[in-house]
Amino acid sequence: MKSVSELTDFYYRTLFPTLEELDKQRKQLRYRIIMIGIFYTFIFILIFISVIDFSTNISIDTLIFMIFAYIGLGGIIYKFLIKDYTAEFKSKIIKPLITAIDQKLFYVSNMHVPKRIFDRSNLFTSKVDRMSGNDYVHGDIQGTKIQFSDLHAEKRHKNSKNKDNWTTIFRGLFIVAEFNKNFKGKTVILPDTAQSTFGDLVGGWLQSKNINRDELVKMDNTAFEKEFVVYSTDQIEARYILSHSLMKRLLTFQKKSDHPVYISFIGDHIHMAIYYNKDLFEPSIFHSLLKYKIAMEYVSTLHLAIGIVEELKLNQKLWSKQ
Amino acid sequence: MPISVIVLIVIALALVLMYNSLVSKKNQVKNIFASVDTVLKKRYDLIPNLVATVSKYMEHEKSLLTEVTKLRAEANKPNISDEQKIALDAKVSSALGSIMIAVENYPDLKANQNVMHLQHSLNEIEEQISAARRAYNQAVTDYNNAIEMVPTNFMATMMNYSRKEVFKIIESERKNINVKDLFH
Repeated sequence: MKSVSELTDFYYRTLFPTLEELDKQRKQLRYRIIMIGIFYTFIFILIFISVIDFSTNISIDTLIFMIFAYIGLGGIIYKFLIKDYTAEFKSKIIKPLITAIDQKLFYVSNMHVPKRIFDRSNLFTSKVDRMSGNDYVHGDIQGTKIQFSDLHAEKRHKNSKNKDNWTTIFRGLFIVAEFNKNFKGKTVILPDTAQSTFGDLVGGWLQSKNINRDELVKMDNTAFEKEFVVYSTDQIEARYILSHSLMKRLLTFQKKSDHPVYISFIGDHIHMAIYYNKDLFEPSIFHSLLKYKIAMEYVSTLHLAIGIVEELKLNQKLWSKQ
Repeated sequence: MPISVIVLIVIALALVLMYNSLVSKKNQVKNIFASVDTVLKKRYDLIPNLVATVSKYMEHEKSLLTEVTKLRAEANKPNISDEQKIALDAKVSSALGSIMIAVENYPDLKANQNVMHLQHSLNEIEEQISAARRAYNQAVTDYNNAIEMVPTNFMATMMNYSRKEVFKIIESERKNINVKDLFH
């Protein structure tokens, strides 16, 4: 697999003419967005003034409704404006970038990892009511099947006025790959919030009392135990999966990703959810595509996701599972 | 209700909880040792096949092979204690490690399908044993902590519970094996 610096080279060399052309489009688009934005705000204020009766007090509800309408309608217009540019960016930049990493990878911009796989992962216990996502990549890396995409899983709540309210369960990168060892049970690894907030004694006790999860597994790697909490249906199998070397690799991966990482081992697969809390692989509109920071965001996120096969040595077939 | 009754109830409840937690910790150690035993047996079952396959090629390491076979016979004896099982496991691990290192010296053997398959199986069982050992050590540590820490230690003394031994980590020992010393 190509390294991050090789990919950066590819981005700036091979894709350079396309980037320049797209950047021109981006500048025009930015100008159009700002102009339309000003115009839209102006019209909105006009409508607002003409509709509202200033002789009576404006209720808070009306005001909130207007603000939401302004943001909502604005969002729709914005999405409509950037649609073509986004599609072009994805097919001309993201797709070649993925193929450059590995020929055997396929990219579909408007699909995501199926909901049943997200449900299977057991990473989040809330029931998912709505799921969206894009930038689906699937394929084969050194004999190991892998797929990942942007995902946004949400839960529905009813508020006091019986209106739907949506809260985010997960938003970020979701990666699934075949695991190279046989196992039957379920092992889930979550970021350790209890222990870091309440200390070892109280936090540890709280973790062991988590009714939504299986048995708590205490791991024999202090650094790992500090960052993560492990629950499993089988004490021994959890340790069979989480060998000392894999714990070290997962720690390195977590540091590299720089975001909360959720991992589970279920049904012969490893599932990883990296909580970025934003839509990834979207074109930048207000910053240049040629900016190093912007480029690195695309390159390193892709490299991180596709790199798990090598990073976690999932391609090593040392065991009887072939 | 008089305060003295409430105090008595609280004390009784605390004693029951302490007693139960100690029993559950002891049983956890026992349960996990049973699993350790199962994987250890799995490895012992592989030994005859391994010895039969490699003995045709290995002339200089005959003593190593007899040693492993002897250890296996010992482990299969009925009524051996948990401590003995732990000690035997350490010896078997290091002997098997040496055999696997020796295999590297025989190109024919290395390419043999059966040996390759055995190697995969052994690797897998080795990892399973290591996992079982780590789970056992954790269970024993929890148990040992409980019988030494206040207030459960008083209860443990009354129940006649004593410290249990953990598995020594033998991976490091295996790495330090000097191959030259073994075969000269």
